[in-house]
Amino acid sequence: MVAIRTVNLTKKYGDFTANDNISITIEKGEITAIVGENGAGKTTLMNTFYGLHRPTSGELYVWDKKVNFNSPLDAINCGLGMVHQHFKLVPSLTVFENIMLGIEMNREIKVSGKLRIKSPIIDVKKEKEAVQKLIDTYRFELNADDIVGHLSVGARQRVEILKMLYRNVDILIFDEPTAVLVPQEVDELLQNLKELKKQGKTIILITHKLREVMEVSDKVIVMRRGKIVGTKATAETDPAEIACMMVGRDVDLEVKREEKDLSGKPVAYRVQNICTENSHGKKCLDDISFEIREGEILGVAGVEGNGQSELVKVLSGLMEATEGTVTLYDRDITNKWPDELRAEGIAVIPEDRYAQGLCREMSLSDNLISGYHSDRRFCRRGLMQKKSINRHRDSLIKKYDIRVADPAGKVSQLSGGNAQKVIIAREFESDPKVLIACQPTRGVDIGSIMFIHNKILEMRRQNKAILLVSSELSEIMNLSDRIIVMYKGRIVGEVDAKNADSCNIGLLMAGISPDGQNQSKEERV
Amino acid sequence: MNAVLGVLAPVIMTFLIGAIIIVAIGEDPLTTYSVMIKKSLFDFNGLMKTLHFASPLILTGLAIAVTFKANIFNMGVEGAAVLGAFFATVVGFSLQGVPHVLHVVLCLLTGVVTGILFALPPALLKAYFRVDEMVVTLMLNYVVVEITKYLATGVFKDPASGYVSTYAILDSAMFHKIFGTDITPFFFVAVAVFAVMWVVFKKSKLGYEITAIGLNPEFSEAAGMRVQKKIIILMVISGAISGLAGAGFLMSEKYRFTLDFSGSPGLGWDGMLISLLGGHDPVGIIIAAIFYAALKTGSEYIGLFTNVPKEIVSVIQSILILFLSVKFLNGRFRLSERIRGFIKSRSRSQAVAGEVKGDLQ
Repeated sequence: MVAIRTVNLTKKYGDFTANDNISITIEKGEITAIVGENGAGKTTLMNTFYGLHRPTSGELYVWDKKVNFNSPLDAINCGLGMVHQHFKLVPSLTVFENIMLGIEMNREIKVSGKLRIKSPIIDVKKEKEAVQKLIDTYRFELNADDIVGHLSVGARQRVEILKMLYRNVDILIFDEPTAVLVPQEVDELLQNLKELKKQGKTIILITHKLREVMEVSDKVIVMRRGKIVGTKATAETDPAEIACMMVGRDVDLEVKREEKDLSGKPVAYRVQNICTENSHGKKCLDDISFEIREGEILGVAGVEGNGQSELVKVLSGLMEATEGTVTLYDRDITNKWPDELRAEGIAVIPEDRYAQGLCREMSLSDNLISGYHSDRRFCRRGLMQKKSINRHRDSLIKKYDIRVADPAGKVSQLSGGNAQKVIIAREFESDPKVLIACQPTRGVDIGSIMFIHNKILEMRRQNKAILLVSSELSEIMNLSDRIIVMYKGRIVGEVDAKNADSCNIGLLMAGISPDGQNQSKEERV
Repeated sequence: MNAVLGVLAPVIMTFLIGAIIIVAIGEDPLTTYSVMIKKSLFDFNGLMKTLHFASPLILTGLAIAVTFKANIFNMGVEGAAVLGAFFATVVGFSLQGVPHVLHVVLCLLTGVVTGILFALPPALLKAYFRVDEMVVTLMLNYVVVEITKYLATGVFKDPASGYVSTYAILDSAMFHKIFGTDITPFFFVAVAVFAVMWVVFKKSKLGYEITAIGLNPEFSEAAGMRVQKKIIILMVISGAISGLAGAGFLMSEKYRFTLDFSGSPGLGWDGMLISLLGGHDPVGIIIAAIFYAALKTGSEYIGLFTNVPKEIVSVIQSILILFLSVKFLNGRFRLSERIRGFIKSRSRSQAVAGEVKGDLQ
């Protein structure tokens, strides 16, 4: 029986197509893995399944019945549930209280015969029994009475799964469930998934970790750039094939990068043994070292969430390095504030355009000077020089071809590509010594991609040192002189761009070294 | 257009509801309102009185705006104003033989310094430990009430006074009325602060940073604005202006500190209302402050010229507070969107769920 079937499902955000004519079927009682790089459209597709947004066109069938979900509630009512990457639990409540939240059982008062009245008091005993029974059915290691706040991350995830199971969900979607787990917990989760399958549940697993795919799934669907690029039975494929499908071999955007000999050039930017921890105390950068010479582009490849964001944050002053040093022409600039780094000549194209790069609600001119607003051209004796700021804006609009309806208006009126050009214009105009570019072309139209790539190469010609972080492998391979691959907060490989091969890099990105030795073994220890 | 409507709508609604109440008493709302407006704004002495009452409100309004605009919610303006007034009083009656101008400046400075010291702890807690400034500043107001009550009933109590009150400040520390009108030099102090704050908001780098921090703190941090440091600076400015407001109001109107010095609902809370009404914009604030003070001046004439009790003004103020709280909550928590979404999802999901469930069985 077919659990979910889609026919030409398409989801567009403005000009950007996140899902392009997706037609897939998901069989009942199977574990289907959906793999792809970040931005490939997996999450968008799942959110459509789960009723978080509506498709632009196309049809969705659940149990062979055409559905139009308006909210997750509709999806749950249809027996379709999602286990989110970020748990939605109340830490101070017990396991059973969390599961029953919103659908509490009330004590009933017998009036006479069959007539019963619901009292406002919760029947704790009955709730606990029901939840414990559910836990035992699926053989989850949990105690209904435990406080959720005291549980491990893996156990919390099990509570989250139970929440869905209790609501009679037959199709479970897991959005990168292992991203938050330690290796042992990953094994437990995979066991649980198999158990769920045995009980007749249908499971959709979103992931980019190939080990999990190979271990539990029955079918693999590979997505790239919003399209389905392959559907295979897991038994008939191998990690290398999936990795190649994921990153894709076609290079559709060729910009001219002239070869040059860099060996004689001085080192401009040097990062030595950088480590850092996130707010949960988890080590997310482990002993990162690299150096960039003048006129060199160093590409950082890797599946997203392997420490690249943290690396850029540390280098741009938004996160503190616990160990290690960063030097610019032998000047120590470790853990300096963002304004000090800018003054040193470090320009940053941040990862999230609308979070760190721009302020949508502010005007174009305000955005074009942000970070450099203390500069003498724009600010004298604490007062902003409006005239020269506006002149600066007008010249940049022309120079960087920013297409804007109202130059005096807000940034929110700009399309993704033009908004990115605002950041590019601002950072490139500051004439930096080093450029840190993180996902510079994400969600940007083809024309702007070309423009941005050419600008980056222009900087290279001007002998600037450039760090390019991107999850788009073709971008990295086209632009970089050297490529390092990050996996789990560490650098797992370095390749010269001349003899780089996307399949090998793809394997490194998945944590498998190209010589066939499986690194996941050592992770389990 | 929308912005203008956002400011005017609460005011118009308030007056409409006020009118209904006046009609219910059996009086003519138009006459009542016209007396109120004529006497408070279009009569020289009335206008002077209005401007006099507006002075502290302009300041507390600015004190609120400077933090609220950066999305920092300093609820301690009331506390800072009261504490500032209290210590200005102490300096005002205990320093003898100081020249007039110097004494006034000293008293005002005391208010400013007190306000800054009062605003610092919550600012530091917010900047370095991420403690919610709204809770801390709100609670500190009660601390101020108790401290001033203790001091005013104990050490600084004027035994000659029949009620709880400190000694009156000396003549040399007072703002005197100008040419027999109600206005005092304090009004010009307030206008000067307004002018400075207008430049800060509209022209300065700090104003640019306030706007950016209010709209997108993460962006501001990435742009090197050092949000922590700015939070402290803004809280200090807010505290300073609040303390000045309290000290000035005491020196120009009350002359001695009593427990009901700040009135009801209090200078700080009125300031919040005014800042919300004026859209956290200096020009908006000065207009709102004068409007609000006009209500107060007008109330004294209503009783004289009509049969409407002057308490109608309290009613109008309260309704205005109600409307503005809705506006504030709506802005902060998107109430209307949520309610709309809730109603929509309810009606839809019931329809869809029924359909699908029926099919499954």
